[in-house]
Amino acid sequence: MDTHKKHGFWHRYFFSLDHKDIGFQYLLTAMFMAAFGGFFVYVFRYNLAFGPNDIPLYGDLAAKQYNQLVTNHGAIMIFWVGMPILLAVIGNFLIPIMIGTDDMAFPTLNKISYWVFLLSCFVLLAGFMMPTGAFGGGWTMYPPLSVSDFGYNNPNTTFWTNFFTGNTFFLLAVALEFISMLMGGINFVVTTLNKRAKGMSLMRLPLVVWMVNIANLLFMFSVGPLIAGAFMLLMDILVGTGFFDAYRGGDPILWQHLFWFFGHPEVYVLLLPSIGAVGEIISTFSRKPLFGYKMVILMVIIAAILSLVVWAHHQFVSGIDPGAANIFSLLTIIISIPFAGMVLSYLGTLWKGNIRFETPMLWALGMLATFTFFGGFTGLHLGSNVFDIYAHDTYFVIAHFHYTLFPTVFLGGFAAFYYWFPKFSGRMMNKTLGLIHFWGTFIFFNSIFIPLFWLGLQGQHRRIYNYSAWNDLLMQPEHIMARQIATVSLIFLLLFQFVFLFNFFYSIKKGKKASKNPWEANTLEWQTDSPPPHGNFDPYPVVQRWPYDYNHPEKELDYCPQSEI
Amino acid sequence: MNIFPESISQIGSEMDKLFWIITAVVGIATVITLFLFIYPIVTRKRNKTKEEMYMVGNSHGKRKWIYIGMILLFLGDMYILLKEHPIWESVEQTLPDPDFKIAIIGKQWMWNIIYPGPDGKLYTDDDIMAYNELHVPVNKVVHMDIKALDVVHSVFLPQARFKQDALPGRTITRWIKLNKTGEYDISCAEICGTGHSIMRGTMYVEDFNTWKKTMANIYKK
Repeated sequence: MDTHKKHGFWHRYFFSLDHKDIGFQYLLTAMFMAAFGGFFVYVFRYNLAFGPNDIPLYGDLAAKQYNQLVTNHGAIMIFWVGMPILLAVIGNFLIPIMIGTDDMAFPTLNKISYWVFLLSCFVLLAGFMMPTGAFGGGWTMYPPLSVSDFGYNNPNTTFWTNFFTGNTFFLLAVALEFISMLMGGINFVVTTLNKRAKGMSLMRLPLVVWMVNIANLLFMFSVGPLIAGAFMLLMDILVGTGFFDAYRGGDPILWQHLFWFFGHPEVYVLLLPSIGAVGEIISTFSRKPLFGYKMVILMVIIAAILSLVVWAHHQFVSGIDPGAANIFSLLTIIISIPFAGMVLSYLGTLWKGNIRFETPMLWALGMLATFTFFGGFTGLHLGSNVFDIYAHDTYFVIAHFHYTLFPTVFLGGFAAFYYWFPKFSGRMMNKTLGLIHFWGTFIFFNSIFIPLFWLGLQGQHRRIYNYSAWNDLLMQPEHIMARQIATVSLIFLLLFQFVFLFNFFYSIKKGKKASKNPWEANTLEWQTDSPPPHGNFDPYPVVQRWPYDYNHPEKELDYCPQSEI
Repeated sequence: MNIFPESISQIGSEMDKLFWIITAVVGIATVITLFLFIYPIVTRKRNKTKEEMYMVGNSHGKRKWIYIGMILLFLGDMYILLKEHPIWESVEQTLPDPDFKIAIIGKQWMWNIIYPGPDGKLYTDDDIMAYNELHVPVNKVVHMDIKALDVVHSVFLPQARFKQDALPGRTITRWIKLNKTGEYDISCAEICGTGHSIMRGTMYVEDFNTWKKTMANIYKK
């Protein structure tokens, strides 16, 4: 059949509308951007531990460049690594084959969304070539600093000098990235609602499909205010409107509300697909049904709705009404409860399971553990508005959000990657290299951020190029030592990613051939060939049951595919 | 190794205590969760029947342990809120009568401090401006009018456990009462441009008599 023909490179990467190819393009692009994000963090962490001079592979680092690297590290890792990997790659690759259909509802839109995404990467990187350098005001872009380095006292007056600045390019890049994710997101939701295989009711959808869709809807609900805000900010930069200029009737806090109204749900947009993939993996490798499937979905919807009304916990000390802060503190702390329900469901899935320690399972358990014990629980410290007075804008916050986002994007992302790699490439990853990669990443990730918790409690504040001005408070031998431990751990963490890269490129060419269903899992993607042909299924499956019938008492095997009667 | 830098205010000590209260609640939750994590991993090779393993959790009764866990966490959450709310009220929502008032104004990249002149009132003609040096009396309620001129800054007094963003176009009044004399840092906790890392002032907490002398010297200049 013509549709099953193998296409050449040019056709596959430039014209193919196949969701699997687009997913792969997103993956490679995100890895390319992750290389930048990783390199930036290496440079500025090296500076914090060993000084700004003669950084290997970089040279000398100036304070202005330090700010630029910190800003772009944050933005890249969230918008150009986390979002493409967790929404676009997981959504593109998994939704059609998990719901049993041939492709997305709108394949061309899907392709456009990728090209817009690629454009946004180039626009962001082009910011580094501007005369005044890349944007360096923090990835949260608080005005007036994001209008120009001197706030509204901007010496540049013409439209074009303001246009060719890092600030403008940063905003435009974020806007393009959002356009791309919105096009992708609407595609995912429509596909899930309209193209399900026969018998695939909503309550038979795999959890990860639910999660990607909830995440996309949450993204769509929350992004509107930020787009409005970004437009105002762009006008402030380019034509001097002064929406956020206090001396002309504007208000800098307005931006913070608009930004965090999006910014907090954004964390859940990243978290949900990842936690969904982790749920699939834990169920498969425990050989047990996902405990409380409907409750998990309900809890996640509750958490998603709550996440829309907690944004001001980023602003407890920013000058909002202290009375309002109490409400936000209450809501923030309450949000721990649906997540507790979800985590306990996953632990209920592990309970009495025949746990198989394959590589994806290790990543999934590592994700769940670090996310819960450090990321989630320190959220209670910061959700309490009193303690936040002290901890806000210190390294305690940095350690907290890296403990939520790193497990989400990287530990969860790698879990999904190792789990679905056989399906998308047709070959198995090398298990030994996978284990080395896991333990290297897991150990050094923890040894980066545990010292940072302590430094934060010591009063080390954020985005500081050089702590020498705080000689008594932050330059004692133990502080220097803690910063060095974190930096050395980071360098090891980055080095261990080369193990992954090698494993990836080696296995994709020379790995052991994978069978249709190497993990003995139930969901539909494991019923088709590895890799799935163009069109995915032949014939199309009819779904008979929910996806988690592991060790069903009436079945002989310990798993039972969704399409089996 | 200390967890916190020394605390120089009553409120600061209460905040440190609050940290440990939250950590205790979280610690109990961690121990329980860790057990739920490790036990199934340790016992993974035991023989189980299919009936035992096919746990779907599709009724409230079967999910009772999850609900119990959520209720326990809810109680923990409420306990935290109960402990923290009075502190928040006294720090942020009440303004005790001042013994002394100053204004602290963030500017790229320094702190301008405005002292009231000999008349004891702020914002009159005899006000005195100083840079990066804040002298405050010990055991007195000090009101600080916090402002910024250009971009957002944030007054961060680590040892006093005090932080407040300084915004252009807005005056935010907060109070501190310090119980220990010495020299302490004034950091800027909000990124404010290239010089963010050199934006540091010093706060001198002095006993009342020394402080009066310092002020007299400042007036003479």
